[in-house]
Amino acid sequence: MQTLVINKRGQLKIQQMMIMLLAVTLFFVLAGMLVLVTQVSNLKASSTIIQSDNAKLLASKIADSAEFSCGASFGTVEMSSCIDADKVINLKNFIKEYGGGNFWGVQGLQIRKIYPDNSGIECTSSNFPNCDVITLIPINGTGVSNFVSLCGQYNVNGQIYSRCDLAKIIISYQGS
Amino acid sequence: MRRNRGFLEISFAWLFAIIAGAVILVLAIFAATKIINIGQYSSAAQTQNQIAVLLNPLETSFEAGQVTSIGISAQTRIYNQCDDQSGTFGNQIIRTSQQSFGGWSTPTNGAAFQNKYIFSNNTMEGQQFYLFSKPFNFPFKVSDLIYMTSSLTYYCFVNPPSNIQDELSTLGEKNILLTDDMQKCPSKSLKICFPGENCDISVNLQGPQDIASQGTVSENGSTVTFYSDALMYGAIFSDNSTYECQLKRLMERESQLSSLYVAKVNTILQIGCKNSNLISDLTQLGSSSDSFRNSNSDINSQSSIITLINNIQSENSILGSGNSCKLW
Repeated sequence: MQTLVINKRGQLKIQQMMIMLLAVTLFFVLAGMLVLVTQVSNLKASSTIIQSDNAKLLASKIADSAEFSCGASFGTVEMSSCIDADKVINLKNFIKEYGGGNFWGVQGLQIRKIYPDNSGIECTSSNFPNCDVITLIPINGTGVSNFVSLCGQYNVNGQIYSRCDLAKIIISYQGS
Repeated sequence: MRRNRGFLEISFAWLFAIIAGAVILVLAIFAATKIINIGQYSSAAQTQNQIAVLLNPLETSFEAGQVTSIGISAQTRIYNQCDDQSGTFGNQIIRTSQQSFGGWSTPTNGAAFQNKYIFSNNTMEGQQFYLFSKPFNFPFKVSDLIYMTSSLTYYCFVNPPSNIQDELSTLGEKNILLTDDMQKCPSKSLKICFPGENCDISVNLQGPQDIASQGTVSENGSTVTFYSDALMYGAIFSDNSTYECQLKRLMERESQLSSLYVAKVNTILQIGCKNSNLISDLTQLGSSSDSFRNSNSDINSQSSIITLINNIQSENSILGSGNSCKLW
């Protein structure tokens, strides 16, 4: 009879201990998961910030890339934030070689003239400068933009002129 | 007899607690180690991407280069990997690894860029890194070349030509030293001569220092050829394999840009610009660049490419004289 009582007590103790151990394990698992979730969300936030910073800097500097820049075509000195329309209109035919924008790390790339308005006409080498938009890669999402000069050459009564218009370069990136 | 048995007696409850406690401790230590490793890796990945973002402002539109520096709180290794095989233009890959608790974290998977060209040693270590960029024109702008050095590696330029001396002193990088006497160079610095003996790197300039200037850079018994100041710095600040790989990538872009300029010539001819030999010369430049193997591959083709570059340069100037028909 006495032995039976002691065994019951022992079993109760083991049960108590197991419950305690489960509680402790559960506590550590939950605490660990909390730490992980915080770390992952911090990482995601910093990744978004880095992507957004990258896109902003890219929008401000892509115009100076060799495939876009005017160089000294429209003057005696090299111009910053100036896009050569003749080059970019022709670049549309080579965009596959540039990985559809992967080369610059963008998903969408468009140059849109701000003024004068030509009802959103897509630019070709025959209708420039009477057009509005040069779409290299269609923009998905909102994207980021930067002001640039869009310059090109055209003929008026046998005389060749350079013309620069105020434009926006718009890029969309992964996650925008 | 009873005492001896009692001495070893451990109740089941204690035994269970010890085993369960040990299991929990092992699991906790394992989880903590994993979390620390993930933390180190994510920190290195964050640094890698921050470096990648910092490379964007180095894109320039002018002759003058851009200068910047990167300060990192932990001791960091930056691995510069150049891949000239993938895609049309190859890849520039940056990996990082950071030191913590006396060890180095696993190098990150890497950030890859197709439009960046970093000239540096394939492994750099430190907390401060200096970067400057310079446009590579051949004869039109191909790209901005980025030169990256660790603040722990000193470069001592002995008697460089005046234009190089002026350019390097303007940069203000603390690890670039200029002197007229090799004895004044710090003992652990890399000595760069123009040319000279007993130097770590010997630069041999040939001909006038214009857009298509040519020369060689010798280091550790091997020699590479360069075509402009921008590539000369590339050859000085990077190891030979990185230099050759980046040069091949640049030539692939040169080839593509030549095609783009041929298309532009056709466009401006339609609006009345004068015809010239530019289409055939640019096509030839494109095919020469496309078949480029390495800087020392063929001396004859090197001299013909220099002649071609000079012809294209002067034809572009003629095209631009009097009207707005310049290509770049």
